[in-house]
This record gives sequence, C-alpha cells and structure tokens, in this order.
Amino acid sequence: MLSYILKRLAIAIPTLLVLIVISFLLMHSAPGGPFTSERELPPQVLANLNAKYGLDDPLWKQIGSYMWGIVSDFDFGPSFVYKDRSVNEIIAQGFPITLTYGLLSFAVAVIVGVSLGVAAAVRHNSLLDYVAVGVSIGAQVLPNFVMAPILVLVFTLWLGWLPGGGWQGPEYWIMPVIALSTSFMASIARITRSSMLEVLTSNHIRTARAKGLPERRVILRHALKPAMLPVISYLGPAFVAMITGSVVVDIYFSTGGIGKAFVDSALNRDYAVMMGVTILVGALTIFFNLVVDILYGWIDPKIRY
Amino acid sequence: MVMTSEQRVEAGEIVGKGRSPWADARRRFFRNKAALMGLVILGFVVAFALFGGYFAQWSNEELDYNVMGQIVELGGPSIESGHYFGTDDLGRDLFARTIQGTQISLAVGLVGALIACIVGTLYGAVAGYAGGRTDGIMMRLVDIFMAVPYMFVLILLLVMYGRSITILFAGIGLISWMEMARIVRGQTLTIKGREFVEAARATGVSAPVIILRHIVPNLLGVIAVYATLLVPLMILTESFISFLGLGVQEPLTSLGALISEGAGTIAYGTTWQLGFPLLFFCLTLFGLFFVGDGLRDALDPKDR
Repeated sequence: MLSYILKRLAIAIPTLLVLIVISFLLMHSAPGGPFTSERELPPQVLANLNAKYGLDDPLWKQIGSYMWGIVSDFDFGPSFVYKDRSVNEIIAQGFPITLTYGLLSFAVAVIVGVSLGVAAAVRHNSLLDYVAVGVSIGAQVLPNFVMAPILVLVFTLWLGWLPGGGWQGPEYWIMPVIALSTSFMASIARITRSSMLEVLTSNHIRTARAKGLPERRVILRHALKPAMLPVISYLGPAFVAMITGSVVVDIYFSTGGIGKAFVDSALNRDYAVMMGVTILVGALTIFFNLVVDILYGWIDPKIRY
Repeated sequence: MVMTSEQRVEAGEIVGKGRSPWADARRRFFRNKAALMGLVILGFVVAFALFGGYFAQWSNEELDYNVMGQIVELGGPSIESGHYFGTDDLGRDLFARTIQGTQISLAVGLVGALIACIVGTLYGAVAGYAGGRTDGIMMRLVDIFMAVPYMFVLILLLVMYGRSITILFAGIGLISWMEMARIVRGQTLTIKGREFVEAARATGVSAPVIILRHIVPNLLGVIAVYATLLVPLMILTESFISFLGLGVQEPLTSLGALISEGAGTIAYGTTWQLGFPLLFFCLTLFGLFFVGDGLRDALDPKDR
C-alpha cells in the first residue's frame, strides 16, 4: 500500500510543478506587464517597480524564487493591483467560505446521488426508478449557472423564503449548495444506478441471496462496495468541476469565496492573484485525486500495489 | 429444408445487399426513440439558428427607443412590436440576440469538439501505435494535464491574450482533447495487433501512413461518438465563461452571456430575458446529449 501511495505521489509532485511552470510562463508571456496602465509611467519608475517585484531578473530566477516562496513559506507573493495586500491574504479571506459550501455540496451530491441511484437500481423499472432516471437526465442540462438564477427567481423573488445572496448564516448556504450540487448529484445517481444494476446480476450477489441473507444486508454489505468503484473514479473530475463551479456561486450569490477573488483579479489583470488561485486549485485537485486513487486501491482488490 | 420463393428472395436479398457496420449502426440509431427525439430537437435548434434571422423584425444591435427605459412595461414578448421574445434591458431585440447567441454557442461547440478530436485522435493514435516507453511518457503527460484546473487556465489565457473568439475556440478545443486521446489510444492498442496492420507494416508502409490510412479510419465510429458527446461539454464550458462575463464580447453574444444578462435582471421582473435563452440552452444540450447517447449505443462496440 505504501509503495502504491508513493507511486501516486511521484505523479502528483511533477504535476504540481508543471502547473506552476505553465501558469508562470503564461503570465510572463502575456502582452503588457502588471504595471501597464492608461497613464504612461516614467521609465525610471517602471524600472524601480520591476526591480521591487523582481521582474528584471532572468526568467529562470523568477520561476525559481516564485516556487521557492510557495514551497518554503507557502507564499504566493504580493498582489499586483492591491499594493498593500499579499495574494495569501486575498486567498485566505475567501477560502474558508469556499471550503464550507464546497464540502457541503460535495457531501449532498454524494449522499443524495448514491441513495437515489441505489434506490432506483433496487427498485428497477418501478415508478421510483423512472423518476430517478428522469431527474438525472433533466439535471444534466442544469449546470450551476443555470440553477443559480432559477433558484433565486423561485425562492427569493416569488416565494421570498431565502435570502438572494450574502454569507451570514446557514440560511445563506442553502441555495449555493443546491446550485452547486444538482448536476453532480444527477451524474452520481446515474452512475450508481447503472453500476448497481450490473453488480446485482453478478454471481456473488446470487450466492449471498442463496445463503439466505436478508436483502438489506445483501445490498449494503455485498453490492454497495463493488458498485461504488465507478462512482469513486467520477469523484475526481466532479471535484474539479465543483471548484470551478464555485466561481459562479461566488459571483451570483455574492458569497465572497475565492471564485470572486479569481474573477476580480481576471478583470483587473492581477496576474499574481490569478496564478495563486490557479495553483491552489490545482494543488487541491491533485491532492484530491491522490485521495481518490488511494480509496480506489483500498476498495478494489484487483488493484495491485 | 425447402424454402419458399419468398424466403429465398429474402435470404438472397440479405446476401446480395449485405449490411455494412454503418448501415447496422444507422438502423440501431433510428430505432432508438430518445435519440430520434434528440435529433428532432437538435434539428429545430439548428434551423432556428440558421433561418430564424429571416423572421426577425429587428437586428441584434438595434436599440428600440420606444421601449427603452420602460422595459418591464413595454419590453415583454409581443407579436405587434416585432419583439417575439421581448427585449433586453437596453431595448435590443431578444429574438435576434437569441438567434445570434445560439449560432455562437453551436459554433463554439462544433469547432471546439473538432479541434479536440483532431488533437486527441492524433495524439492517442501515435501513443498507442508507438507503444513502449513513448506511449508511457505520452500518457503520463496526459495524466498530468488532466489534473490541471483547465477552466482557470483558460480564463487566464483569455485575460492575457484578449477575449477574442479565436482564443476561445482554440482554448476550449485544446483543453479537452485528453479524454479523447485516452480513448483513441486504447482502441489503437487493440487495432494495431490486427492482420491488416501487420500486412501494411510487412509491405513497408511508413508509420505515419499506417496511422492515418489504416488505424484512424477504423476508429471513426468511436471518434464520432465521443465527438458528439464533446459538443455539449464545449457549449457548457463556453457558456460558463460567458456567464462570468469573460467570454465573447458585445455586440456578439452567446447563450451563456444571454443567460448571465437575464440572470442579472430577473429582480426587475423581466423573466423573459432569462427564460428564452435558457430554453434554447436546455434544448440544445438535451438534443446533443440524446443524440450522443444514441450514437454511442449504435456505434460503440463496447456496449453491444
């Protein structure tokens, strides 16, 4: 198991390095520097600014010191637009919020999706099954940026039940979580259903039934574990998509997470913050994929370490 | 067993005509009701995007000064004013803008999927055909790229190199070829051991020609399926970016940008601004998903 984890880590670390180098080179090759503005700066001022931010060093040295800053102090450097704030401060402000509704959405998508999928598979071809399939097909065309305005229209404007935006208490969490989790819940339900249907016809389930185990135990102990494999491999991409979706949630519900920081910095051309967020998200993704891989190796006996 | 003449004709007909795998696939596809429904929906959306402009009373850039400032009262959908879908908050005709948005969204979907297909197919076929260490390195690279949060990188690209539609097309295509490369590589591995490839190699055909002439044509079915399933994903990606206001720029618009505008103004009660773009967005995705699923059932040898 340990060597398996190490092997996965051996992929994860270069991935992170590649990500950092790619985004750094992208930023570096962008037309116009961070100090380009409508008002032409005197050349001396520009030179001093470049010297202050280390932009007059050779490229390899810039990449090196940027990486070293991240590795040694977890420091993403200063913001290019807000002179008095560091990228870390900007990220630290939004990250807990993103984490809160992100984890909640993830939990909702997995728990509701898996339950719905299992229920649909166990009651195959019943009304419940048809409803579950219908819901999951419908929800496929309802990504977060479609769900968000619909939710606000119904629950804020028509019914007046929920606040339309902000981040002050649990009632502010409901709509972001629904908007973010719906389409993933649908996909998870669909994957669970089809893999559960397949597992339920397999030999070991027939054996379990033949030896007289109660159906409940057959489903929960014997069928659920192997049926979870395709779901687990979907969780990696789903996690990435959810982080991406958090940008929409932050913008539309004014929740103030890192997505807001990202779009603001994109509009302000604050490359430092954009890179910081991109790398942070990339690191999270890589870490999460690692967890998923380990989980997969733990559940699937066919994987050799 | 003695056959009646009719049976003989029937049998003769089958033998005489033969059925190609493509004809088989076509038959399976047209028997699939959901796929047919998807095709009809898709046909409607495409017809709307192509020919809807002939019915529009206004262009997508014209401002209607009669309704300006009173959008909520006068800007609603009506036949008399010529604004079949109403107007947006600036008094522009939503019918014309929805047509234009649908065009852009479909174009982004098609071009993005095409780029992803070409890059992914070539990459996957080369990796699979080369095998060994080259294959290992190429696929490990794909693993690495797949962990990159591409939406953020794409936005980074758009911000840095200007929000032009070319960058959007290329960027969307270039971030989504990885899945395709994996699938094509897997299929190539099975094809490259077959006799006709061996024969080609034995007669001295060069590797690039074998890949392009002998391997890729045998993958067309799989490629077609995943290309169709890629189109809606490309549309989703573009709409996502446009929703954030980072996609196509005015006066051009896309369904995502229109949904974003509609979402921003629902508080004033102009629900049609959200409703019509949303309707066409959902119809497009529905159609594409159903057609893609139908094609997969018809063409993908795995699921038979």
